[in-house]
Amino acid sequence: MTRALCGKRSPCSWLVLGMSLILLTACQANAKEDGTVLTFSGSALGAEGTLLALQLERFMRENPDLHVRVLRTPEGATQRHQLYVQWLNARVGDPDVLQLDVVWTPEFAAAGWILPLDRFKPAVGDFFPATIEANSWAGKLYGLPWFVDVGLLYRRTDLVPREPRNLDDMVALARAAQSRRGGPRYGIVWQGARYEGLVTTFIEYLGAFGGRIIDDQGKVMLDSPEAVRALTFMRKTLYDDRIAPLDVLTWHEEEGRFAFQNGNAAFMRNWPYPYAAMNDTAQSRVAGKFTIGPMPAAPGGKSTAALGGNQLAINAYTEHADAAYRLIAYLTAPEQMLERAAEVGQYPSRRALFDDGRLSAALATPVEQARRAIESATPRPVTPIYTELSEILQIELHRALVRQAEPEAALRSAAMRINALVERTGMRELMSKKAP
Amino acid sequence: MKSESKLGLVLVAPALGVIALIALFPLGWTLWESLHQHDLRMPWLGQSFIGLGNFAEIMGDPRFWGSLGHTAFFTVVSISLELVLGLFLALAMNRAFRGRGAVRAAILVPWAIPTVVAALLWRFMFESEAGIANAVLLDLGILEKAIVWFIHTGTSWVPVILADVWKTTPFVALLLLAGLQNIDKSLYEAASMDGAGAWWQLTHITIPLLKHAILVTLIFRTLDAFRVFDLIYVLTGGGPGTSTEPVALYAFNALLQNLRFGYGSAVSVVIFAITFGLAVLYIKGLGVSLQGDER
Amino acid sequence: MLRWPRWLPAVVLTVLILFTAFPFYWAIVASFTPEATLFREPSLWPREFTLDHYRALFAERDFLTPVRNSLIVAGTTTLFCVTIGAFAAYALARLKFRGKALILGFILAVTMFPQISIVSPLYLLLRSLRLINTHPGLILPYITFAMPLTVWLLVGFFRQLPGDLEEAALVDGATRWQSFTKILLPLAAPGLATTAILTFIYCWNEFLFALSFTLGPERQTVPVAIALFRGQYQVPWGQILAAAVLATAPVAAMVLIFQRRIVQGLTAGAVKG
Repeated sequence: MTRALCGKRSPCSWLVLGMSLILLTACQANAKEDGTVLTFSGSALGAEGTLLALQLERFMRENPDLHVRVLRTPEGATQRHQLYVQWLNARVGDPDVLQLDVVWTPEFAAAGWILPLDRFKPAVGDFFPATIEANSWAGKLYGLPWFVDVGLLYRRTDLVPREPRNLDDMVALARAAQSRRGGPRYGIVWQGARYEGLVTTFIEYLGAFGGRIIDDQGKVMLDSPEAVRALTFMRKTLYDDRIAPLDVLTWHEEEGRFAFQNGNAAFMRNWPYPYAAMNDTAQSRVAGKFTIGPMPAAPGGKSTAALGGNQLAINAYTEHADAAYRLIAYLTAPEQMLERAAEVGQYPSRRALFDDGRLSAALATPVEQARRAIESATPRPVTPIYTELSEILQIELHRALVRQAEPEAALRSAAMRINALVERTGMRELMSKKAP
Repeated sequence: MKSESKLGLVLVAPALGVIALIALFPLGWTLWESLHQHDLRMPWLGQSFIGLGNFAEIMGDPRFWGSLGHTAFFTVVSISLELVLGLFLALAMNRAFRGRGAVRAAILVPWAIPTVVAALLWRFMFESEAGIANAVLLDLGILEKAIVWFIHTGTSWVPVILADVWKTTPFVALLLLAGLQNIDKSLYEAASMDGAGAWWQLTHITIPLLKHAILVTLIFRTLDAFRVFDLIYVLTGGGPGTSTEPVALYAFNALLQNLRFGYGSAVSVVIFAITFGLAVLYIKGLGVSLQGDER
Repeated sequence: MLRWPRWLPAVVLTVLILFTAFPFYWAIVASFTPEATLFREPSLWPREFTLDHYRALFAERDFLTPVRNSLIVAGTTTLFCVTIGAFAAYALARLKFRGKALILGFILAVTMFPQISIVSPLYLLLRSLRLINTHPGLILPYITFAMPLTVWLLVGFFRQLPGDLEEAALVDGATRWQSFTKILLPLAAPGLATTAILTFIYCWNEFLFALSFTLGPERQTVPVAIALFRGQYQVPWGQILAAAVLATAPVAAMVLIFQRRIVQGLTAGAVKG
């Protein structure tokens, strides 16, 4: 077994043999239970965990021939990604069903680690098109959207009476709010630390100015005038308009949430998750005094929200593909999505549910605003090399925002390095070929 | 005599074997990996022999050179501070006073706690414009306006260096103190009798006689500082941009964030070579014989 | 002796103690402060008090799991290395044979290894052994730095023991083995204990290997768990500091109790001519 895993060419084979004897006790394989056992890996903590257990329980009652076991995974996206790569790389059947972040699907699909779902004939038309796009690679669908996350602009209704008409208007409104007597310290807060959140924030400004990261032909568009304008605008809000505090360059979601919740900001870019908590008077000073809406656009661009969310996919080495799909179909069915919206506030990925009265009852956020935001949502680049692409972008964006580099130079460098990455990984050929 | 040397080898064998198996063998493997393209995340690329291709890529990557510079900067600045402060401290502790044991114990605590924890304590103090570092510096009038420490390269280094000095100066001081205690007291008495001042005694007796201890400390600390990882991983994550990223973090990112094992291994080989070179340089150039056979 | 102004050492030491203690003090205060007020006008004196962070640490975070992992990994590594290392150190310190100096030099060289240079093969090796994210999968890599460390420290201790003990025993008809187990080991017990404490501390604090070779909350050690407390969206400073206080407490206690021995161990290995 170890020999096959290790390969003849690597110098480990002989060592493996010896060491496996010493460590035999540590490598005992788990015997499978009777009947078909499906393994599932995903968020199993807190409220999400409770809900998952409940739904799996129901699924097993309705499908007595199947038993589902949950494998614990790390909470952080990077760590979970690493674990998945590990598991899938080992080419074993566990876990059969995986909860994937929206940006991982193409990577795993290109590696041949997850199964195309087309043969199960999912009703893709029921889902938001952007979520289907994010889950497709080389013309095939690899994951079924489970829930949607979308970038929202939170606004203090008591400080800012109306929705901003465009980005400049947003700056003006923010400044007006800041200069009011007893106004908030900050005009707007967002996620600006050097991590994935910065890329999602940038994508929204980029779209607002009409730019893109990669076009449909796989060409890197980061050195476009639109991109430079977008990044320059972000920088201007920090140093010239002074509506965003320099602090945001170290902030993740939660720091911004605290600032907004303590009444220190007029606007906030964030996901839907804090909505319910911020309406809780016990912990929030802004309960009932805020609303959500889409990010405004600049002239020539369109209002853009970064698309987040998770999907369910099937391990390519599973021995129970059909059973695994039954589980996915069950978890992504309208009833389960509604329950998910009610229990943990996550948006359904099924478009039709937004016309369903039960959703407005279940969701804390106003349904209509949520739908508008999702429909204007833009997926991050759909490519197998996203993780590395994002790392380059995070670094260069951060360099520009902390004024180590001019926006134009930083973006040119990002484009250059991403192009080199595309070459090195053979992405250009791969994108023209059919996926393996 | 014969049986003694046999016994010696038998007793040493298990430990040596273990070290060779899990430290030396992997080193050879790293070298082998470094000559290949091996991306765990991109199985479609295969694992092919590319000779020195990875090394060429390293040499052409400004981020690598940057990380090398940051490591050198960190090493030089933190060690200079630690040596000076450590010597000062050792001199202060090298006299009998009430509670010396307690002081020694207290300063050992930062040395003994996990580096991750030390980094978090300092990160917390410098975090946010409303953190305690800003508050104290504003109160003392040193700052006019709160600083966001982690968005400028210069200010990001402040907590990093402070944390390292905080954590390792005690260790340095203890090593130097041990050296100080070996110095024959009569030398000072003789010098005092001849009317030599404190400064003369320091530069003509203490430091020359402490040379060995200082050099040993220097070697330990240089090699240690050169592989700095935990501290910066937690404190700045290498930011802003990548302007505080050390080589170990650069290698770690290639290996475990991007799973580029070939490239990451090549970076590891380079780090190993530099460390090895430094050690050889110190030992040869400065003529220090470390714990020899028998005294 | 150096003649310094009388007050100087006292001032130096006071400043030093303040500098050393303040980060701990501040972390302890913060760990009892409600999250929402952590960054609201910091004050040197605690104004509010809550046990929430400690409660959450065990109720939500299951902080006992990393503590258990750390204990298992550091404990096993220490036990293994001190046992095997004691034989080697005895031979290196007390027996005469060729190649000793070379072996000592080699062991010292290994302690100076940058850990990052062997992360990649260890990862591939552990992966093919299916040991990633297991306790043995951490113990093995830990031996790489713990074994040279224990041997190095123990050689220092064994050398300090009086030289003629074993000869006397040998003359009395004892074998080498008997003189080692019956005479030398009991005398070396304090040295062994100190070595064990130091090795344990090194293992308890180790971060890079633990970060590289564990994958989830079930197998993370204390430093990794604390460093990765950062959730998907948040940085729970209160809980991080509470965990930091708890992770520091046992080490601090050990240091305060065994400080004399620890200092001896640290300096015996390093500063000898």
